[in-house]
Amino acid sequence: MEVCDPASARLRIKGMKAQARYFDETGNNPILALMFPMMVGEHTDNRACVTDRPRTSARVVDIAAETDIKNLTHEQLMTRVAEQRDKSAFKLLFVYFAPRLKAHLMSMGVTAEVAEDLMQEVLIKVWRKAHQFQSDKAKLSTWMFRIARNAFIDYRRRAKYPEVNADDHLHHMQADDETDRPVMEGQTAERVSKAIEALKPKYKEVIHLSFFEELSHSQIAERLELPLGTVKSRIRLAFGAMRSELGEMG
Amino acid sequence: MTQQYGLIPDEWLVSYAAGALSDERALLVATHVAYHPSLKARVADAEAIGGALLEAQDATSNLDMSFDDLMARIDMPELDAEDEATPILTSDDDLPTPLRSYLDKPLDGLKWRMMGPGMYQHKLSSGPDGEKLWLLRARGGTEMPLHDHTGLEMTLVLRGSYHVGDKRFGPGLLELADKDVTNHQPMIDEGEDCICLVVTDAPIRLHSFIGRMIQPFIGL
Repeated sequence: MEVCDPASARLRIKGMKAQARYFDETGNNPILALMFPMMVGEHTDNRACVTDRPRTSARVVDIAAETDIKNLTHEQLMTRVAEQRDKSAFKLLFVYFAPRLKAHLMSMGVTAEVAEDLMQEVLIKVWRKAHQFQSDKAKLSTWMFRIARNAFIDYRRRAKYPEVNADDHLHHMQADDETDRPVMEGQTAERVSKAIEALKPKYKEVIHLSFFEELSHSQIAERLELPLGTVKSRIRLAFGAMRSELGEMG
Repeated sequence: MTQQYGLIPDEWLVSYAAGALSDERALLVATHVAYHPSLKARVADAEAIGGALLEAQDATSNLDMSFDDLMARIDMPELDAEDEATPILTSDDDLPTPLRSYLDKPLDGLKWRMMGPGMYQHKLSSGPDGEKLWLLRARGGTEMPLHDHTGLEMTLVLRGSYHVGDKRFGPGLLELADKDVTNHQPMIDEGEDCICLVVTDAPIRLHSFIGRMIQPFIGL
């Protein structure tokens, strides 16, 4: 098969070693989102973002469909992508996520060119693996983050990131603590962002160094000239503070 | 949640979610998490932080690629089949997927190298910062050599069990031992072989003279 450019050649090579990934299932509830759209605040600012959607001859129907689709949450749009291979729903997601993915990947330290290449890879996966996204349980931004993280690590290390499989049901599975449910997945990204912002600077710092620079505990300790134990407890406390604050919000 | 013994502390789950662990530690953490729904929930939360950081990114970055370019790439048929390859899992269905897709043979089919009386090792990989990922197989009833640590030792039980003092570690439970843990002497419980997934980042310090003599040869 003919390859058009170096970017697609790289993708082909990566595609050959790519294996099906497993995505965890958690959180967001689309029925709640329908009933209480104000609870999904982060989706409100990106509804009217596509202006150049192609027109069909049935213009009236098209306008009605457009109004409809813009009111959907990301998770609902993703369901349309999975079930109907709906390109206009995918386009809305592209408009919202593509620049953010690029910026996110750049903040992890790659050039704009590589970031765009990886972003494309992530979005291709999102389209291809749309059926694996469980819109009743997971938040799209979390799923998208996970795919971006894996793509980034695959690129950096040329190794597959070991993914937690939500469907693993092991003979030795430990009894679940019913009170310990995910609390952030049920929240909007906006609230989670606010909880990150609300952290004391010393806690925010270790979260940022973990997520944007992928520094290990000992690398953070070296960077900040802190004892290893202090770094570990700061990460633990930051996470605990966010979980308890968001958990109380319910 | 108060920290329960045998479960990995949150700072490791956060670093796993962030993609900040070495491949060796990431594999061990992902394998450990698979046994515990409560840890899966916490990883999902840590990944939601990643999702929130992603959404908080600058939405005005310029893209060279348009939506139509993306769809044109998606429509290239040769990319399709390659992406759909399913992972090959070993036949050990008592093990979590991350480990089953990482290993190329079932545990019983691996080549085990003797480390000492009743103890066998199968090396898996070495990371850039000296982390070593390996499997330990110890016969039921074996006393592990008494040792101290110069780095961090992470031990996840896959089969069988062992105990250290009054703490018993069975399948899915993890033991973390760093330099604060001295006179460490796990005792393998009687019965089936105990198989553990281990990550060490520095040599352990064996107490016995004989142990120290043979240590360079057994790769501990």
